[in-house]
This record gives sequence, structure tokens and C-alpha cells, in this order.
Amino acid sequence: MRRVAVTGIGLVSPLGHTATGVFEAARAGRSAIHRLQIPGAHRLVAPLAATVQFDGTEHFEPPQFRLLDRVSQFAVVAARRALADASCELSQAEREHAGVFVGTGMGGTLTIDEGYQTLYGDNSDRIKPMMILKGMHNAPAAWIGIENAWRGPNLTYSTACSSSSVAIGEAWLRLACGAMDIAIAGGSEAPLSLGSLKAWEAMHTLAGEDTADPARSCKPFSRSRSGMVLAEGAAFVVLESWERALSRGAAIHGELLGYGLTTDAGHIARPSVDGQAAAMSAALAAAGIAADEVDSINAHGTATQANDVAETAAIKRVFGARASQVPISATKALHGHLLGAAGALEFVLSLLALQRGVALPTMHLDVPDPDCDLDYVAHGARVGAAGRTMLSNSFAFGGTNAVLALRAMD
Amino acid sequence: MTSVTYKDTENRIRALLVKDFKLDPDMLTLDAPLEDLGVDSIGMAELIFNVEDEFGLKLPDVAVHLSTFGEVVQFIDEAVANQRASAPSPLAQGVPTAT
Repeated sequence: MRRVAVTGIGLVSPLGHTATGVFEAARAGRSAIHRLQIPGAHRLVAPLAATVQFDGTEHFEPPQFRLLDRVSQFAVVAARRALADASCELSQAEREHAGVFVGTGMGGTLTIDEGYQTLYGDNSDRIKPMMILKGMHNAPAAWIGIENAWRGPNLTYSTACSSSSVAIGEAWLRLACGAMDIAIAGGSEAPLSLGSLKAWEAMHTLAGEDTADPARSCKPFSRSRSGMVLAEGAAFVVLESWERALSRGAAIHGELLGYGLTTDAGHIARPSVDGQAAAMSAALAAAGIAADEVDSINAHGTATQANDVAETAAIKRVFGARASQVPISATKALHGHLLGAAGALEFVLSLLALQRGVALPTMHLDVPDPDCDLDYVAHGARVGAAGRTMLSNSFAFGGTNAVLALRAMD
Repeated sequence: MTSVTYKDTENRIRALLVKDFKLDPDMLTLDAPLEDLGVDSIGMAELIFNVEDEFGLKLPDVAVHLSTFGEVVQFIDEAVANQRASAPSPLAQGVPTAT
């Protein structure tokens, strides 16, 4: 297997639009979660979200803009930023094989929601002609491919909350086995329609509002946790074979060591300790490292009752007696749950944490839970604690568990 | 052959193309090929949708082959005239019927 380098980072996130800005916000524990202002927000029990400061008209000419759902706008802009960061020029021949790997859980759900409002809400048949092209899940990937004339694999993964970790992992597989030399991989999500928020609410997975401070509503691993907060955004990385990155003198952010993928094949929603532990073990095996070599973890850490207990148990199973010495960061407390883009954003945060040697904090962990008794880096970042090698966990409804193993540059 | 409303139709479609496709009005001469204006088959579906709203029309759901801006104007102008002949209605002016 070949080594795989991360040479570009591109972000459109609730915590900001640059790697430095996003990292500093996360390090300082600044939450992007706030009360949501959308039409119908009063119909939500807890109208909370982490939103992106973003005006698509600043990034696209009108003829293209009208074809793009917000999820595609995020994806294309984040991909541009990743490619600019990688500053790589591809030859015509290279473009024929360059791959685009995108995760999204809900695709163009804003467009679909608007269409259904017309059809059912307004009782009108005036469905706009672009509804299919804007709403389809593979639109973000397609637009990235079109913009860059990359003609290799153009694939969209929809495995709910692990979608973009799967996208990055599947790109890694192809690069590692020599089927490709360069890929852009990540995820995008723009799920903040009233319809989608109400559906998540109906599942009783969303956090109640912290009445003292809405920004503190998401509390991973805390006994006072009440669920997740939905968020929007996109994150992409440029992945290259190590040889290609070295030969062109690229600045390498870090190494993607391996990827573990398992499926619970059990309950459609309830997380499985077995499945999560197996995914972490599979990532270690793919990376060719032992559990002892992992210095810190970016947890899936959704702040739901079920996930946080299961994930804690799974980490204990994989790391044994050492589990309590591994710093675990749950950054969703700050950026919320980007669903299909969550894994990619957290992979980027993990890379940045390794680069800077700082374990990011799990914020709002005010009340310890006896069932969540590991070291979650509560309340504040820990300088010098990220170490050299990390796992980034993503688990999903549907049971698709994806774990990425990554390492800082020496 | 053009109807009395032809110039009005032309101006209203030109305004739609300027608004929705951000085209330069000076490019919108009657002989301008749609391809050169960036109005492809998808763009045409969208233009037809917006024309229906603008003119209060329902165009037949059949394929039409229009290749210039002028042919679009001609097609819509005839549709407006036909609708007006078959059902004289203020809808043709884009005004809601009040009874």
C-alpha cells in the first residue's frame, strides 16, 4: 500500500472559513450554536443550529447560482479553498483520473423542502424545473468535477452521519492501492429546512435549549446532555500519493494512515459498541499501527444519550487500561452536527490539532456521567496533548461506522 | 407575421432573460442564437417556466425546437394570441381574475 498525504484543506464552517480561524475558535471553546431564525422557527421545540456566514451570490455568477442548492454552493467553495491551499496544477492526463469523493446525508433537502411547500403547502403544481438537478445527492460532487474538469471517479456517499468519513476513507483506499494519484474528498450539508428540523425533532435526538446560554446547548459526554444540534457547512481535503506530493514539493498537512469501516447490521439507530470498536480496530489495522500508538481521539461525541455511552465503552474495549489516558475531544459542542459533513470537518480539526500539538476541548461538560468516565479534555484545550497520531470517529444511523487514522508530519 | 402585442412580448421576454440569466440586453437581438446566449435545454425549461408565470400562460407539454431569441418571442407571442382567442381572459395580461 502507498502512503497518502493531505496537501489541501478547504472549509465553509460554522466556526469560520479558514483553517486558522476554525482551529482558534475550537481551541478557545467558542460555540457557533445559536437560536435559529428561519420562517417557522417558532414551531420548533428548541430552535437551535450552527449556521455558516455565507452568501452564495458572492461566489457564483447568476447563471450558475440558479442551478445550485446551498449544499452544492458550500461544497464547491470548500473544494476551491482546498485546491487553492494545495496549490496543485494538474496536467490534462492527470485530470482524466483525478477523483471527487463527497459525503452528504441529506443532499439538496432545502430545494426539496421548497418544492414540497409549493406542491402541498401552496397547493400549486408550479414545481420549478431545477428541482431535480438542485436536489439530487450527487450534485455537489458533480459540480466540483465540472468546475475542475476532473474526470476520474465522481462518487457520492450517503451513510448519514459518517458520510464524509466514508468519502475520505474510500478515496484513501484508491490512492493507497495505486488506482489514483490525487483526489479531493470531504462532505457538505445544508439541512436547515423546517421540514428536516421537525423530522429530527420528532426522533427526539435534538438538544433542548440551555436557557442560560443557547450556545452551550450541546453537551457531549455530560450527564446533562440532551442531544445534538444540527449544523450546516462543508469541509474538503486534497489527498495525494506521498510520491506525488513530495515530487512537487507540496506542503503536507499530515498523513492519512488508514481507514476502518464496519457495519452494525443490528439496530437502524441504536449504536453498537461492537461495531464502533471494530471500526477503530479496523482503522488501526489498515494504518498498520497498534492501539498504543494512538495519542488522542476526535470522538463522534454527538451528545445523544446513546452515542456517548456506547462510544466510551467502545474506546475502552479498543484501548483497554490505557483508555483513560487518551485525550478525547468532542468538538460538536462547538460546531454542532454537520451530519454528512461532520466527519470531514472533524478530520480537518484533528489534523490541525496534531499540527499544533493541542488537544481540542470538549466544552459544556459540566456534569460528569458515571457511564462516560474517560478523559474528554473538558472545558479547555490542552497544549501539548494531541500527540502525533489520532483517530477520528464517525458513526451513523444505519450502522455505518467509519474511523480515520491520521498522523502529523515529523 | 407578428401580432400587435409582438413588441410587448419581445420586451417582456428580454426582461426575463436579463433578470434570470443576467444577459446583456444588447445581446438579445432577434437573430441571436440561444446557444450563444447560454440558454441550453435546461435553461429553456426554466425560461418557459418563468414565461408561464409572466404571461399567465400554460404552454403545452410538447417538445419545441427554438434556436434563436426571435423564435422564442414568436412562439410565445402566438401562444398568447391563441390563448386570448380561445378564452379572452385578463390572465393573458398576467392579472388575476376577479369575479
